[in-house]
Amino acid sequence: MTTTTTSTPAVRMPVAWARAALHAGCLAALLVMLYPLAWLLATSLKPADEVIASLDLLPGRLEWSNYETALEGVNDISVGRLLGNSLLIAGGAVVGNVLSCSLAAYAFARLRFRFRGPLFAFMIATIMLPHHAVLIPQYIIFNQLGMVNTYWPLILPKFLATEAFFVFLIVQFMRGLPRELEEAARIDGCGPFRSFLLVILPLTRPALITTAIFTFIWTWNDFFTQLIYLFSPEKFTLTLALRSFVDASSTSAFGPMFAMSVIALLPIVLFFLAFQRFLVEGMANSGIKG
Amino acid sequence: MPGNRTRKSCTTAVVLALCAVLAGCSDTDESSRAGGEVVLRYTWWGNPDRAAKTQAAVDLFEERNPGIDVQTSFTGYEAYKQKLATQAAGGDAPDVMQLDYRMIDQYATGGVLLDLSEQQQVLKTSELEPGLLATGKVDGKQYAVPQGRGTETMVYDTEQWKAAGLEQPRVGWTWSEWADAMRTVAERTGEPGGTDPGQSEDAFEVWLRGQGRTLYTADRQLGFTADDLTRWWTFTDELRREGAVSPAEQTTQLDGSVENTPLGRGKAASDVNWDAPASGYLALVPTGISLAPMPAGEDGTPGQYFKPSMFMGVAADSGHPEESAKLVDFMLNDKDAAKILGATRGIPVNESIREDIAADLKDFDKTIYDYQATVEGKLDAPPQAPPSGDTALQTTFMRDYDQVSYERMSPREAAENYITEAKAELRS
Amino acid sequence: MTTAQMPKAAPAPEAAAVRKPPRRRREGAAWVFLSPWVLGACVLTLLPMAVSLYLSFTDYDLFNSPNWVGLRNYTQMFTEDPRYWRSVVATLTYVVIAVPLQLALALIVALALKNMKRGKGFYRSAFYAPSLLGASMSIALVWRAIFNDGGTIDNLFGTGGWVFKPGWALLAVALLTVWQFGAPMVIFLAGLQQIPGELYEAAEVDGAGRWRQFLSITVPMLSPVIFFNLVLQTIQAFQVFTPAFAISAGKGGPADSTLFYTLYLYDRGFVASHMGYASAMAWVLLIVIGVVTAVLFRTSRSWVFYASEGDR
Repeated sequence: MTTTTTSTPAVRMPVAWARAALHAGCLAALLVMLYPLAWLLATSLKPADEVIASLDLLPGRLEWSNYETALEGVNDISVGRLLGNSLLIAGGAVVGNVLSCSLAAYAFARLRFRFRGPLFAFMIATIMLPHHAVLIPQYIIFNQLGMVNTYWPLILPKFLATEAFFVFLIVQFMRGLPRELEEAARIDGCGPFRSFLLVILPLTRPALITTAIFTFIWTWNDFFTQLIYLFSPEKFTLTLALRSFVDASSTSAFGPMFAMSVIALLPIVLFFLAFQRFLVEGMANSGIKG
Repeated sequence: MPGNRTRKSCTTAVVLALCAVLAGCSDTDESSRAGGEVVLRYTWWGNPDRAAKTQAAVDLFEERNPGIDVQTSFTGYEAYKQKLATQAAGGDAPDVMQLDYRMIDQYATGGVLLDLSEQQQVLKTSELEPGLLATGKVDGKQYAVPQGRGTETMVYDTEQWKAAGLEQPRVGWTWSEWADAMRTVAERTGEPGGTDPGQSEDAFEVWLRGQGRTLYTADRQLGFTADDLTRWWTFTDELRREGAVSPAEQTTQLDGSVENTPLGRGKAASDVNWDAPASGYLALVPTGISLAPMPAGEDGTPGQYFKPSMFMGVAADSGHPEESAKLVDFMLNDKDAAKILGATRGIPVNESIREDIAADLKDFDKTIYDYQATVEGKLDAPPQAPPSGDTALQTTFMRDYDQVSYERMSPREAAENYITEAKAELRS
Repeated sequence: MTTAQMPKAAPAPEAAAVRKPPRRRREGAAWVFLSPWVLGACVLTLLPMAVSLYLSFTDYDLFNSPNWVGLRNYTQMFTEDPRYWRSVVATLTYVVIAVPLQLALALIVALALKNMKRGKGFYRSAFYAPSLLGASMSIALVWRAIFNDGGTIDNLFGTGGWVFKPGWALLAVALLTVWQFGAPMVIFLAGLQQIPGELYEAAEVDGAGRWRQFLSITVPMLSPVIFFNLVLQTIQAFQVFTPAFAISAGKGGPADSTLFYTLYLYDRGFVASHMGYASAMAWVLLIVIGVVTAVLFRTSRSWVFYASEGDR
């Protein structure tokens, strides 16, 4: 674990109490935090006349058919297929973002080159323009490249470090590493590539894991881009299919929609659970001398 | 500074690339042929149920036309609108698309749609109801053909209505009779009689037509004045203050779904809605619902009309206009397709098909069919498709009325506001 | 002793003096690292941005080719559109409420979890759980139910229905964002993870108390990450879209009280098809966010500590 708390017998009791209080506080906070999620879960089992109208947490009677309807999938496309598509896109995005953003971040954080300041400012500026404003030009570009109705518009940008959020994130972590590390590596004869791979990258692992987790979850939930670029239902994702349950102009089906959102939530919960533990190991274990 | 020169040439490069991109969007008609087959893209909005039926009909079409492969895609209405706009703006509109009444003017004048009369060899319109067919015309050209029709209705909770001692509304009842009914329900049950219709441009249009006026004139200008709108909003605002119709907090929750209407949430006894989505109330109001005609003007002038619920259009730059028109013809006129599709897009506009499928209609489709039959022949012809600014104005209408129902503006102020905005919108 | 005490703006020359590989080669290496970004920035970012800037001076309506109208969109925005100003006020209010609340909560929870021995993984996952959802349709409906009249909050505190009261709806939307504080929390945790344990050991030997350690080790060592979260959350708050869109069904109601800037921009661009106007709105927002961010960067010089000093 992170820190070394040297607890001598004399202070053990207060520490234990403090710890218990901490846990109690956290649990109380969680109770409040997770209440809306419980609501979501409960609603997914409510019958149609209760989904919106009822303001009670628990369903009057359990309506499993919401899940049955959701699991039938949409337009002959099975939930398995939708899941696979979502995984493919999110997986590709993770690889792309981790690779390209760490490369760019290394240059910005540790190397000197001309126009570094202005370029860095430009990179930050790219996240300041609302994406609705660039949506159509981007669509035209991808259409010209013949990439509409493929997964390229969803994955390729990640390989080109277009998400300045992550570049900036990794930059901040890299700048937190002492300069002497590379000086030492350079004396050992490492060029920028090797010191990037062997020295810097391992030490920015918490940031890289964070990037991976966020990319996965955000790509998974990114309904909008998927909507715009995907046409064929067999290429649809879970998130996209979810929206098909809500169509205001015809009878909507909020019950199955809630069921579908629970189903769509499961994979990202699992992903988070699997990867969050890598966040634990950071610098503290890597034997860095400050 | 040495960078200056670079920057200049850089700007030039960007502008050039920009022009190339903008110019490029006009010439994307590369024929989509896969292995000698014609590939058509067909999109619509709807729910999974409509999707299943549409897919089945499309499968039949492909079976009958071996050389044509139809790729279908659908999503919910709000998402659909944005996706289609992006595709159209990007010069990538699908070959065959489903359109709403409000989209036609914009898509037609924007050059997205094909004049379908060019394809009258394959696309027959002789059996379609003429008044409805005309709504797909812009500047005399048939840019879209209607598939189904719907009309507005006052849906009400049958039990509550009876409990309040009210009779079933007859065709031709008036707005003041409606208002009295709302008051009676409120008195007897303690809950508002219905949704406040003040926020709905559609309801306003019905009221306006009952007075012999129209929402828009033939030359795409406003057909009413600030005085008309003030009278409408004063009328609804007073009912709201009395508690006869839903309070602002309830009205503002409307999002187009039946679940979020006061009736759907069990907070009122009735709602003003289109007939097709009203089926959603069946699951929400366990004691049962009935459909009543919309109130008419005080002299009995009907305000409601049969509105084409959905249109089909073909992209102007489609590589396969003929095959596309064929698909449209199939969806509209083929008897076997009609059997599969039923009333999933509203009661068919094709008159002979409408009679054909009548006997097979079940459940709520049957209810709608019967409801439409009660007003058949008693309504005036529908107006032409609203001008393109109307999409924006519909929301503006709702927003301006929000200011009234939250008592931040008087009906007069809000109406003046709306007229100003509407004029600006229609000018551009 | 603690590196945290090192003067921040130490002169860089020594670093340059250690070894000086030919500048050209190092510069070349930098461009190799940057190449994916440069390609993406030119084709996928710069070009669309340039197009949208151009469109902001036109009457582009998505369907017909754009006509140059000069500054008309901009003057119209500032002088003739009361709804625009309502959206500005709503957005600024939101930024001021949501950003500090969310960051404070994220930091407090991250610090609480930092020294936890048992159950850390559980808590981290549980606190992150709300953020997994994004601002989806279903969570918006849940929010409406909880904050509606007769909903949980009303029953507990007798507040009435927040979501549909003009004065309170914005708070309900802001709380949705605050509730999803998982992202900054995880980033804080990752930052805390990166602080070498030796620093605390040394401080302990020196007899520094908890509070002292927090102030002289945790805060400075974490400052780059605090800064990152501050900048990014501010930028994102200015662009807040999805929670309000989902909760108010795209209307920004009630009575325009949650009609945030980007929501109105979307409304103008895609509902009303005034893409030229929407583009102009986007560029005004870019400039405003740019100024705010520049100010943040400027102040960062006095409080953000980088171990690799010499930068900036």
